[in-house]
Amino acid sequence: MLDPITSNLQQYMDLLSARQKLVASNIANADTPGYKTQDIDFQFEFTSLVSGQQPQTVQADGLPEKPDGNNVSMDREARMLAENAMRFNVASTLVRGQIKQIRDAIEEGRSA
Amino acid sequence: MSLFSSLQVSASGMAAQRTRAEMLVENMANAETTRTPGGGPYQRKDVVFSSDVQESPFSAAFQNEMSTGVRVADVVTDDRAPELRYMPGHPDADANGYVKFPNMNPAEEMVNLMNAQRSYEGNVSAMAAVKDMISHSIEIMK
Repeated sequence: MLDPITSNLQQYMDLLSARQKLVASNIANADTPGYKTQDIDFQFEFTSLVSGQQPQTVQADGLPEKPDGNNVSMDREARMLAENAMRFNVASTLVRGQIKQIRDAIEEGRSA
Repeated sequence: MSLFSSLQVSASGMAAQRTRAEMLVENMANAETTRTPGGGPYQRKDVVFSSDVQESPFSAAFQNEMSTGVRVADVVTDDRAPELRYMPGHPDADANGYVKFPNMNPAEEMVNLMNAQRSYEGNVSAMAAVKDMISHSIEIMK
């Protein structure tokens, strides 16, 4: 894309949306017997993922299992939902800022 | 297309919970039903959920979808024994004067219904959060 910062932000947003999709799956399957909470190893994927590749999903551990084998915690998912959305908003605002800088440079050049 | 398929996942959750709520409401509506087309009193029904890989038109092209929605895999009939009530004047009474009523606990149905409602709301919140993310991405273009 435009420069290294923007392409990093793009990858960050891609990963956040992939994670948000997993959160949506976890919430949808909150009452599915035997379903295990899915997540991605965010730090690892962010540093090692080649752009365009899909991240690996892992099962979140340390969650108490209900008698039906389901271990979705609504509190965890609510937190993740809000956190992902906020991180995504920060990243999109930053990308917008980057684009605005370039646009300003173009506009200033034109008026001179 | 990642974010749009999240909406589909949440929608599958909403549809599944709505089906569950429909079953629970049907159970409560038929709490006193002594006649059914199959004969005998009404038997309460319950849904079984199973996770389901969401098919989107684009997923075939990319082969890397990892969204897991939910679907109603089965509707099971609860075969607990009917409750016998002594009502000799009732048209459905047997030779001893007992009528078979559905064995249903309203508290159980209400708790399940509340559960379905909360889960539905969870899916709605997830959808709202994803919608917010999509509109922020659109903002980048402005």
